[in-house]
Amino acid sequence: MKKMNLNLFISCIILSLFGLLMVYSSSNIWAEYKFNDPFKYIKNQGLFLIIGIISMYIVSKVNYRKYYKYSNKIFAICFTLIALVLIVGTERNGSKSWFGIGSFGIQPSEFMKLSMIIFTSKYLYNNRKDISNIRKGVIPILLLTIFIFGLIMLQPDFGTGVILVMGVIGLLFVGGVDLKFFFKIGLVGVLGIVGLIMAAPYRLKRILSFLNPWSDPLGSGFQIIQSLYAIGPGGLFGFGLGGSRQKHFYLPEPQTDFIFSIISEELGFMGVIIVSGLFCFIIYSAIKIALKCDDLFGKYLAFGIIFMLSFQAILNLCVVIGLIPVTGVTLPFLSYGGSSLLITLIEMGIILNISRYQK
Amino acid sequence: MKIILVIIFVIFIIIILRVFYIQVFDYKKLNNYASNLWSRNLPIKADRGLIYDRNGVVLADNATTTSLVVIPNQIKDKEKTADKLSEILNVSYDDIYKHISKKTSIERVHPEGRRLSYEIADKIRNLKLEGVYLVKESQRIYPYDTYMAHTLGFVGIDNQGLSGIELTYDNYLTGEDGAIKYFSDAKGNKLELNEVYEQPQNGMNITLTINNEIQTSLERELSNAVTKYNPDRAIGLVMDPNSGEILAISARPNFSPANYKNYSIEEINRNLPVWATYEPGSTFKIVTLSAALEENKVDLEKDIFYDKGSIKVENATIHCWKHGGHGKETFMQVVENSCNPGFVALGQRLGVNTLFDYIDKFGFGKKTGVDLNGEASGIIFDRSKVGPVELATTAFGQGVSVTPIQQVTAVSAAINGGTLYKPYIVKSINEPETNTVVKENKPTEIRKVINAETSAKVRNALENVVANGSGRPAYIDGYRVGGKTGTAQKVENGRYLTNNYILSFIGFLPADNPKVVVYVAIDNPKGTIQYGGTTVGPISKAVLKDCIKALNVPKSDGGKEKKYKWPDPKTITVPDVTGKTVEEAKKELIGLNVIVSGEGNTVTHQSPEAKTKLDEGKTIRLFTS
Repeated sequence: MKKMNLNLFISCIILSLFGLLMVYSSSNIWAEYKFNDPFKYIKNQGLFLIIGIISMYIVSKVNYRKYYKYSNKIFAICFTLIALVLIVGTERNGSKSWFGIGSFGIQPSEFMKLSMIIFTSKYLYNNRKDISNIRKGVIPILLLTIFIFGLIMLQPDFGTGVILVMGVIGLLFVGGVDLKFFFKIGLVGVLGIVGLIMAAPYRLKRILSFLNPWSDPLGSGFQIIQSLYAIGPGGLFGFGLGGSRQKHFYLPEPQTDFIFSIISEELGFMGVIIVSGLFCFIIYSAIKIALKCDDLFGKYLAFGIIFMLSFQAILNLCVVIGLIPVTGVTLPFLSYGGSSLLITLIEMGIILNISRYQK
Repeated sequence: MKIILVIIFVIFIIIILRVFYIQVFDYKKLNNYASNLWSRNLPIKADRGLIYDRNGVVLADNATTTSLVVIPNQIKDKEKTADKLSEILNVSYDDIYKHISKKTSIERVHPEGRRLSYEIADKIRNLKLEGVYLVKESQRIYPYDTYMAHTLGFVGIDNQGLSGIELTYDNYLTGEDGAIKYFSDAKGNKLELNEVYEQPQNGMNITLTINNEIQTSLERELSNAVTKYNPDRAIGLVMDPNSGEILAISARPNFSPANYKNYSIEEINRNLPVWATYEPGSTFKIVTLSAALEENKVDLEKDIFYDKGSIKVENATIHCWKHGGHGKETFMQVVENSCNPGFVALGQRLGVNTLFDYIDKFGFGKKTGVDLNGEASGIIFDRSKVGPVELATTAFGQGVSVTPIQQVTAVSAAINGGTLYKPYIVKSINEPETNTVVKENKPTEIRKVINAETSAKVRNALENVVANGSGRPAYIDGYRVGGKTGTAQKVENGRYLTNNYILSFIGFLPADNPKVVVYVAIDNPKGTIQYGGTTVGPISKAVLKDCIKALNVPKSDGGKEKKYKWPDPKTITVPDVTGKTVEEAKKELIGLNVIVSGEGNTVTHQSPEAKTKLDEGKTIRLFTS
C-alpha cells in the first residue's frame, strides 16, 4: 500500500482541532447557562473528534473498492435508519432527525449522504454506457434521489436534503450527463419556484428578506442581523479569542450553524482567511486526488464526497454572511455536531485511501 | 471537474471579499448598531448651566443629589431587594417590587428613588445589592428664592425648563447627560468587559444684565409696598438707559420656584413688567413733551398757559386733576404740575400725525423685542379714528395701553440723548469649562427718536418735576434726580373703575447724565391717597438710593434745590464743626438735636458730615476726643 496524502490528513486534523477550539469558545456561555458546565459541548465534540480521527485513519487503510462491493448493503442500512428515525427518532428544534443515545444524538441523514454518494458512484460506474441516455441512465437514479430527499424532508431537514440532491447532481455532471439536461432541470426548478411564489406572494417577501434583514429584524432577519453584528464589529483584527459578545445569548446556538460568525468576531479577517484557506486546500487536494484516480468508481467517489462537502461549506458560509436566506446547514469540520464531524472525517478517510492508489 | 474546482474557488473568493466588505465598509454602521445592542447605560445627569447676575452672583444654582437606578435582570433575589429598599426608602414593598421586576433594561425608580439624601443613599450603597445603582443627579436651587421668579422661571423634576429664562434658554442650559456604559449579554447580565465612562457635558452658563444689589433693593421695596398698601399688583423695573440692559425686574404677586406647584398658572406665567398692559397716565406725558420740544412747538420757559381747571375739546370737557386749575403758568410749570389741559394744548400744537409718529418712534404699540417670553404689545389708537378728543387724551396718557417695559424703554430714549435701545436681559452665554462666549448680546440701537439737545431739555424739565413738582417725594439730597409720576384709572370692560388706580413713578439719575431709570407701579393700593407721587415716589426713591450705592454714582453739583413747600420740613445744611468746641458747635447747629459722645471738649468727628442736608429737628452726633 502506498503512502496516503499526508498534507490532506494533517489539514483535516488542524481544521477540526481549530473547530473544537471554536466550539468551546462559542458554546461555553450557553453550556454554562443550560447545563451548568461550560465544557459540556467541547467534551462531546472532543470525544467525537478522537473517534473521528481514529476512524479517518482506519478508513484510510480500508480499500475503497469494498464500498463498491457493499454499496447496496450500506444503502439499505442507511435507508432503514432514515425511515426508522421518522418513527422512533427524538425531536430537536422541531426536526425528528435524531436517534438519542444518552446525551448523544446520531443523525442518520448524515450517513445517508455518504451512502448516497457511494451508491451513485457505483451506479454511474456500472451504467457509464447508458449515461448519455437520459431516460435509461439518469431518470432512475434521479427518482431514487428525489425519494430519499422526500424522506429527509419528512423530518424535516431541508439543508441536508438539498446537499444530498446537489451531491448527486454534481456526480451526474461529472459522469457525463448532457449539459442541456441540467439546464432543463434548472428551468423546471425556476418555474417551480415562480409557481410557488405566484401561489403565495408572501414567499417572495420571505425570500427577499435576506437582502435587507432589517426589514424584519425580529423575524426572518433576526439570525442574519445577529450574525452581521458578530462579523462587522469584529473588524479586521477581531476581539481576540474568547472575546465574542454575540455569543452572550445574542446569537442563537452559536456553536452550530453560526460558528463562522463567532470565528470572524473573535479572530477577525485573519480567522476567515485561515478557515477559507484550509477549506480551499482540502478541496484542492481532494479534487486532485479524484483527477489522478484511474479507477472511475474511485474518481466518482472522491469527487462526490468533496463536492458535497464543498457545497455544504459554501451554503453555510453564504448564509452566515447574508448572501442567501437561512437554510440551517452546519459548517463541516467546525460546527458542533458529533455525527457530522464523524462522517466528515470518515469521508476524508475514504479520499485518503483513494490517494494511496495513485500513480 | 476542473471547472467545478474553479467555480468553488471563485465562490470562496466572493465569500472572503464579502466578509472583508462587512468588516471594513459596514464596520461603522454595524458596530454602532451592535454597540447599542450590547451596551447598557447607567445615566449620569449633566449639571444644568448656572445663571449669574452681571457681577457673578449666582441666581440659579445646582445641588448634587443621587437617585436610584435598578437593572431588573441583574437582580436575582427580587424579594430580598424589594424588602430592603422599601424599608430604607419608606415606601411600600409592592411599589419597589414593581420597579425591580419591570421588563426593561434599566429602570429609574421614579419618583420614590429620586433626589435621595446623603444618608439614605449611603445606606443603600452599604447594602451592595446586585443590580442596584446610585447615580448622580443634580437639582436646581434658587438661592434667592422668589427674586425675579417670573423672569428666571423654574424647572421640573427632570431639570427641564418650564418657564422664564429656564424655558427660553433651555437648549443652552441643558447639558448632555453622560453615562457609565457597560456591556451586557442578551439576558441583561453584566459582562466582564471594560466599562466606558462618558463624561456628562454640563449646560452652558448664562450671565444676565441684572445687578443683584439693585434687584435686592427692588424686591425689598416691593415687598414693603405690599405689606403697607396691599395692592392688587406691584411692578418694578430698573434699566440702564444707555444700553437697554435690564438691571432689576420684579413683580408682585410672585412665587417660590421650588414650590411652583402651589401657585396658579396665571401667577406663574405672567411676568408683569413685560406682560401687563394698562393706561400709563401722566408718565406718558414725557412722550408728548419730547415730541413738542423736538418739533419746536413750545418754549418751556417763555410760553405761557392758562389753566382754568378744564379744557373743552369738541363736545368734551377735560378736567385738570387739580380742582380749579393751576392758573397762569409757564409750560415748565405745566410739566412740573403735570397739568392735563396744558398737555392737551401741546398735543393740539403737534397734531395727530406728528404726535402719533413720535408714539410709534418711541416704540409703543408693538413689542420691544426684549428677550423675555410673554411680552405684550399694548394698544394705541388707530390713527384714522383719532379725533380731537382722542388726540387730547392721548397727549396726557389716557386711552392708550402700554407695558411697563415699553414705558421704561421709551423714557430711556427720551433722556439718554434720544436713542431708543432694544431692552435685553441676557448678557452672555458661556461654555462651562472654558468660559468661552457662545452668545453675547450687545446694546442694540433701534433708532434715533429725538436729538441730544431736546433730550437735555427733557431731562431738565423732569429734574424740575422732582425738585419743584409732583415728583418731590423722590428728591435725593446731593444727587440730581429726574422723574415723572403717573396716576392711571383702571379700565375694565371698557369703563373706568372708580377709586381703582395704578400709581406709578418713573425716575432717573443723575439728571444731567442718567445712569439708571427706575420704574415702580402699584396697582390699586389700599389706605392711601391714590396719587402717584406720594405713594410710589418714596418707593422709587429708596430704589434710586440703592442704585447710587450699587453703581457708585458720585454726588453731583449743580442740582436743583428742592422747593420748600408746606408741609415739607425745613432743611438745614450741616456746617463743618470739627475742631470747634462743643459750645461753639451747638450754637451753629441750632434747629438740630445735638448729641455729644465722648469726654473731651473739642469736636473731632461729626455725623452726618458737613454739607449734608438734614430736616429740622433731626439728630446730629458730635464725637469728642
